[in-house]
Amino acid sequence: MLVLSRKLNQSIVIGDDIHIVVVSVDRDTVKLGIQAPREVPVHRAEVYEEIQRANRAAVPGTVPPPSQRPAAPANLKSSRQPPKT
Amino acid sequence: MVNAPAESALTTVDLPRFGKCSYKEEDVFAFPWGLPGFEDLRMFIVIQLETQDSILWLQSLDDVNVSLPLGDPWLFFPDYDPKMPSFARLSLDLREAEDYTILAVMVGTDGGPTFMNLLAPIVVNLKTRIGRQVPLETSRYTCAMQIPVPAAVAEAQAKARAAAQAEPVSE
Repeated sequence: MLVLSRKLNQSIVIGDDIHIVVVSVDRDTVKLGIQAPREVPVHRAEVYEEIQRANRAAVPGTVPPPSQRPAAPANLKSSRQPPKT
Repeated sequence: MVNAPAESALTTVDLPRFGKCSYKEEDVFAFPWGLPGFEDLRMFIVIQLETQDSILWLQSLDDVNVSLPLGDPWLFFPDYDPKMPSFARLSLDLREAEDYTILAVMVGTDGGPTFMNLLAPIVVNLKTRIGRQVPLETSRYTCAMQIPVPAAVAEAQAKARAAAQAEPVSE
């Protein structure tokens, strides 16, 4: 892993278009400002790890009895409309 | 010579969970970014069992052992309000609301569904058949939100209450 030291208001650039700046440092909390293209998802790592765990937990370990007939592939319908913003 | 199936030909897979299932190429949904926890799985079909009309199974074709139960979040959470982040709008090309669907991963379906992941819904563009799990930029929802009493049960309870009220009560 590349390790860089940065001071307050200093930044790093990843690729051509991702900028990360140290906005504040307070004891053990570092606030970062992230500027990335709109199509790039940015998440806290714990959130992503929690989703990984939730997805793995969602796959059932047990197999249902064969009496539950396999169905042909289903199609998806549009969601009920979420409230307009 | 490559023995490639012709377009629209049926492909049959033996699914550990659902048995033999035949699908056409048009039935397949692509998840080009995989799913968190299953980053290598890209191709899925959706299976619905006759006995479970409120659950859709997102069945991987890359690993037949993986199938995730999905449900309509609004069935249990009528005020659910997932604001699509810009990365999702752009990467999935979400324009008209009727062109895409939003489903939530359910946990605990063996003994009846108990939790829904409202923080990271599965969003599928129905025109392109491309999907992605989209973590929302909010702290309102979590990965495991308790499913309230199912609508059917609530309805039955309401009927029971109405019946009880209809009966003459001495007070």
